[in-house]
Amino acid sequence: MKLMTKILFLITIIGFTNCSPKLSTNFTNAQPKLSIDDKVAFLDIEHNLPENIIKVGKLRFQDSGFSTDCNFNSLLNKARIEARKNGANIVKIIDKKKPDIWSTCYRLKIELYRFNGDVSSLPQYKLKLD
Amino acid sequence: MKTLIKILLLSSILLLSSCATVISGSRQNVEISSEPSSVKVYLNEIDIGKTPVNKNLKRNQEYQLTLKLEGYKTYETKLVKKFNAWFIGNILIGGVIGIMVDPSTGAVYKLRPEEIDKNLKSGTTYKTKSGNLYIKISMQIDPSWKKVGQLEKSIKD
Repeated sequence: MKLMTKILFLITIIGFTNCSPKLSTNFTNAQPKLSIDDKVAFLDIEHNLPENIIKVGKLRFQDSGFSTDCNFNSLLNKARIEARKNGANIVKIIDKKKPDIWSTCYRLKIELYRFNGDVSSLPQYKLKLD
Repeated sequence: MKTLIKILLLSSILLLSSCATVISGSRQNVEISSEPSSVKVYLNEIDIGKTPVNKNLKRNQEYQLTLKLEGYKTYETKLVKKFNAWFIGNILIGGVIGIMVDPSTGAVYKLRPEEIDKNLKSGTTYKTKSGNLYIKISMQIDPSWKKVGQLEKSIKD
């Protein structure tokens, strides 16, 4: 019975500590922070990047093993927060793995860019509420 | 007979597991109202309508809540995940399946407005009833706005 209690306790701890997806960041050229009123564009794989942009850094979302908040829109919202913090206004998806037999999570590789123009005029993915 | 008892016990554990998912569900109804009303509401920067507004939100996500109205300061807070006590039911009855299922459906959480140093953002009140979350926000006047006049309908005889 003691062993059972230990197992339950361990599962509970694991469940609570690993529910967020794993985020790896690499910022090579951070720009001045953007405010919540600054628009950020989401460019999916099929959307092209505009010209004259500055690369700010890279993000990678992976499944931590117990991730739950890891659907496509949720990950993009997290990416937008990181983008604004580092002065980027374009979130460009460069690799996308959909949920499959190995993971119930989206796994994304993202590049962040700064564009000195109106990002709302770019063809882009519109974020949705799941 | 012993086998029957064991089967019944096992069935009960399986059926009663996933306590929080069964009781609370994976989504939570959130109603947002404001003073004054008809304020534009955004969740994760997506326009969801004007107050009062209702939305059935996933429990396993956090949301940025923003309210905007001309002449008032933009209101911002987060809806964060808090522990849903129904989850303890799994531990009490030894529902291993529930311990796995509830976090995956998000039922282990309940959504609440974010508290910083145990204080809600100024102008925020909330209550819960039958698992639903009711948030009321008092918008603060933006002092940078000044009234310069008023248009009135002229009455012709």
